[in-house]
Amino acid sequence: MTGFLLRRIAGALFVLFALSIVVYAIFYVAPGDVARIACGPRCSTAQVDQVREQLRLGDPVYVQYWHFLQGIVAGRDYSTGTALAHCDAPCLGFSYQTDQQVTQLILAKLPVTASLVFGAFVLWIVIGVGTGVLSVWRRGRLSERVLTWLTLTGTATPVFVIGLLLIIVFCSTLAWLPFPQYVPFTEDPEQWMWNLLLPWFALALLESAKYARLTRSSMLETLADDHVRTFRAFGVSEGAILRRHALRGAVAPVIALSALDFGTMFGGAVLTESLFGIPGLARELVEAVKVVDLPVVVGLVMVIGFFVVLANTVADVLYAVADRRVVLA
Amino acid sequence: MSRISRMSVISRRVAGASVSLALAAGLAACAGPDSADSSGGSGAGGKPQKGGTLTVLNSNPQDDFDPARLYTSGGGNVPSLVFRTLTTRNREDGAAGAQVVPDLATDLGKPNKDATVWTYTLKEGLKYEDGSPITSADIKYGIERSFAAELSGGAPYLRDWLIGGDKYQGPYKDKGGLDSIETPDERTIVFKLNKPEGEFPYLATQTQFAPVPKAKDTGTKYEEHPVSSGPYKVVKNENDGEHLVLERNEHWDPKTDEERKAYPDKIDVRSGLDSAVINQRLQAGQGADAAAVTTDTNLGPAELAKVSGDDALAKRVGTGHFGYTNYLAFNPKVKPFDDLKVRQAVSYAVDRTSVINAAGGSSLAEPATTFLPPQKSFGYTKYDHFPAGANGDAAKAKALLKEAGYEDGLKITLTHSTDKDFETSPEIATALQDALQKAGFKVELQGLESNDYSDKTHSVKTAPGLFLGHWGADWPSGGPFLAPIFDGRQIVKEGSGNYNHAQLNDAAVNKEIDEINKLTDLDAAAARWGALDKKIGEQALSVPLFHPVYKRLFGKDIKNVVISDWTGVLDISQVAVK
Amino acid sequence: MTQSLALLGTEAASSSEGPAPGTRSFWRRLRAQKAAMAAGSVIALLVLTALAAPLLTALAGQDPNAYHPEAVDSAAGGVPLGSFGGIGAEHWLGVEPGTGRDLFARIVYGARVSLGVALFATLVQLAIGITLGLAAALGGRWTDQIVSRFTDVNVALPLMVLALALLAIVPQSVPRPVLIALVMGLVGWSGVSKLVRAQALALKHADHVEAARLSGWSTWRIARRELLPSLAAPIITYAALMVPSNISVEAALSFLGVGIKPPTPSWGQMITEADTWYQTAPTYLLIPAGLLFVTVLSLTVFGEGVRLALDPRARTRVLRAGKGSAA
Repeated sequence: MTGFLLRRIAGALFVLFALSIVVYAIFYVAPGDVARIACGPRCSTAQVDQVREQLRLGDPVYVQYWHFLQGIVAGRDYSTGTALAHCDAPCLGFSYQTDQQVTQLILAKLPVTASLVFGAFVLWIVIGVGTGVLSVWRRGRLSERVLTWLTLTGTATPVFVIGLLLIIVFCSTLAWLPFPQYVPFTEDPEQWMWNLLLPWFALALLESAKYARLTRSSMLETLADDHVRTFRAFGVSEGAILRRHALRGAVAPVIALSALDFGTMFGGAVLTESLFGIPGLARELVEAVKVVDLPVVVGLVMVIGFFVVLANTVADVLYAVADRRVVLA
Repeated sequence: MSRISRMSVISRRVAGASVSLALAAGLAACAGPDSADSSGGSGAGGKPQKGGTLTVLNSNPQDDFDPARLYTSGGGNVPSLVFRTLTTRNREDGAAGAQVVPDLATDLGKPNKDATVWTYTLKEGLKYEDGSPITSADIKYGIERSFAAELSGGAPYLRDWLIGGDKYQGPYKDKGGLDSIETPDERTIVFKLNKPEGEFPYLATQTQFAPVPKAKDTGTKYEEHPVSSGPYKVVKNENDGEHLVLERNEHWDPKTDEERKAYPDKIDVRSGLDSAVINQRLQAGQGADAAAVTTDTNLGPAELAKVSGDDALAKRVGTGHFGYTNYLAFNPKVKPFDDLKVRQAVSYAVDRTSVINAAGGSSLAEPATTFLPPQKSFGYTKYDHFPAGANGDAAKAKALLKEAGYEDGLKITLTHSTDKDFETSPEIATALQDALQKAGFKVELQGLESNDYSDKTHSVKTAPGLFLGHWGADWPSGGPFLAPIFDGRQIVKEGSGNYNHAQLNDAAVNKEIDEINKLTDLDAAAARWGALDKKIGEQALSVPLFHPVYKRLFGKDIKNVVISDWTGVLDISQVAVK
Repeated sequence: MTQSLALLGTEAASSSEGPAPGTRSFWRRLRAQKAAMAAGSVIALLVLTALAAPLLTALAGQDPNAYHPEAVDSAAGGVPLGSFGGIGAEHWLGVEPGTGRDLFARIVYGARVSLGVALFATLVQLAIGITLGLAAALGGRWTDQIVSRFTDVNVALPLMVLALALLAIVPQSVPRPVLIALVMGLVGWSGVSKLVRAQALALKHADHVEAARLSGWSTWRIARRELLPSLAAPIITYAALMVPSNISVEAALSFLGVGIKPPTPSWGQMITEADTWYQTAPTYLLIPAGLLFVTVLSLTVFGEGVRLALDPRARTRVLRAGKGSAA
């Protein structure tokens, strides 16, 4: 196990390192003159050059990358014009476009995305597993089909359509909920929840079908096992079999898949974040990509990558626990 | 236009990332999310009263709140609540609102004989939010810092007009200051220009003319808490301008400010919202949203369809016109557009009805046959050199193509962006493609990613032969509308900052521009701009397509809605919520 | 929505359960499932529609790209005239708001793009995924480490960033559908790769594979002759589920500005453009969204049927997720 963990930590560092190189390489070839965008299209060529110099974009790309690595290890100093400010290690640099420190920017956005993902996670487990269990319990009957259809509708409808419909119905027409706007948990936990309820549901509806199917198939698989037949023969009730045996079989795969989704969702909920005006990591990433704001993009990709790798590791462990044939690698 | 285009970048990224279908035109305008004024509707009845909280629901965060970095037309909308400038726009409905009026200064400035030296005197009793007096040196400093590379983003005029402006690198690098701005005493400021500029009073409305106390300057961090000279001060700025709270500046004296009404006690600006959601919230008007407006989100076509079917909602729509033109740009350096007959054929072939439908329909766009917007202050002179009618004159276009030697049709490429901005976007391009093909062209569409599009179309080396362009007014006059596009001396050879798409360098045109700039009588100048536009139009260097119309919802408790022709959107400094 | 790729991987019958079922019994078992057969016919119908697009539009007398300004109310934002989005004898499914383009023609041509791109992307994903998955499983510990970390990098790199890179690198002359399928292919292979790796690892020590190794077969030959046949069932099943999720990803891509080049229609593009019209022109949204739903549903049900037919004792297992691009 220790060996496994050490390997994974080394692997994670490698992944983050590789990600930063890939992003630097991509931006090296991508269109868009960073200095021109930062300066504004009606800047003179001389002004654009001044901005380029100020942002140190004139340096060769490997030098820029070296400064980036130095910043992570030792921090960096930068000029605000009137003074010299310090960006503590691990410093991910500062935005070309807004001059903000990337580390601070990420720290501001992280709790927002975490709020969204966490709530959605709870909901999709409840809805997904619940639907899955129900459909096993009612298997072969009409209600099973209805449930299957409902979850499939969730998966097959783009999230911006679901989201907009939710807003129309619950905020506009019925006026049961406020129009979502992000309120930090630390400011007002109750408002935090009410405002996030719709985005949570939108994401959860998208995800839950997968969990419903996973739960259902895992449970059916267990029910087909010989020992369950034996239990039945001994007169154990169907409800007890479902609860004690079948559901237990579904726990490991559901947790493993959740860990992965939980990780990818940190950078993956672009459309949801945009639609509901949630100032999270994914939306920031899209905006940064559009204005070629390399430091912000690299920083965000690395943070998102960190969560993906973390989730992958957790999933691997859980997966191995669930199925001993799989070798931890 | 730098800030402008930066705004348009932002509006695009918002539109792209979200499901917004709202016209981004308003955001892409010189105005930006911050600019704006309004007129048009009247709002709820009753006399406007002081008090209450005004909520502003916006798409684009106010991520630059530094007066040096803002690119606005007339000082912006939200920024204008905090930053007073030497002059400002007249806060009135319609055409009257396109006039420039004094703000911090006692008058519009005293020019010398050839309009190369402008002298302003500050009003008495002007104070910052901390009670300290506003001096002419602070205005000079505010302008100087806009030259710093760290604070780039403003309009190019100060750089181009002030003596030594092209070399000056701002107060952080160049401690000596800019000699062409003099402050003989605390209330007087003198500007020395390198050529006659009769429209200097218009320029003095921009936020770069707001005072910045040197002792409080924190460089790039100044935007977090800029020192207010206006009726409100910043009490909260979260997430780089996503949430701003403004409260009354006790040291602002309404007696010195005839323009800003400042009815609400507090202004709560929420941004980063999806435009569809903004319009839903304004429609529903629940809670604080009843006293809400937006300064950057237009009604999109689908939302307009809904609103026009509902009388109560229709009353809450403010309609405005900002000086803005969307056009097809030719680059005559690329064949076959060097041929006047081909350009004329394209001009005849365009189906403006289809284009307007693609841009949101006849309520959101009006057909354009002139380059200048159809407003008096621009000197609008009607002309239609190549009458295409409502749906294009395919027969005439075909005949011209035949004359040009392309009897069997002509293959051309139309370049557009992949944005969803209803300006350079695919739907406009396909509408044109459809019409041009009816006239015997074979049209290949080339869609470029937005940064790529901007780089390529604004560089003389890479500009395609035919692409979609747009231009907005830095102030409501023909000067900033025609000169950047048709003045041969403004061709930028290096890099991607060229807006003279046709690379027109016509001695007669250049000379006329210089002559008009000498006029300090703005009405006389306007007439000459109009005539010049008509003259240039004969060369068919662009095909004007449409002028956008701004329609925006406001909450049901909103009173005193004023929409000027300067910005085309409701003026937040006039709005009352009680 | 690529996450739905992670839906179910299936674990192949392990070696002790005998060889993969024969072709004939496969068809028999597939035919026995009514739902799968119904879904299969829907898919066949959709594919036929896509192939016969020019014929069908000629029959309707419509062109997918012709503007009909007379069919919309320009002053009201371009809402289609007539009830139900302008549905009538002339425009069978009504018209697109604003432009007045015929929706039937656009839907039919859109099917070509949506299905074509999704299929091609699936092939790319399979090619990359199978190659890397096998390499990881058979190539020794270091290869496995490298491939697995490479997969992590791929999963962690957001779609947007990758799409931007490809747009910049690939020349304009490459047909857009190919480019899009490539983007999707390069983004979404990690699920397949992980599936193949896990399956191959499980099979690696099976008796018949060990026997092959002992008799001195090359790794490549073992992979081809011994592993791939057993892997066919889970891979085909998984692929059937990848197609629908690829259709959704295409919609997301058009959102990010790397969609199909206009005026060519695609369902994804139509849905993204229709979303604000749900109140005033609901059919504009409902028709493509409904078709997308039917397609996804049919493919899912059919995929499930194929899985059962290939391996009636197949066991479902969770697998690594792809990346969530459409959330």
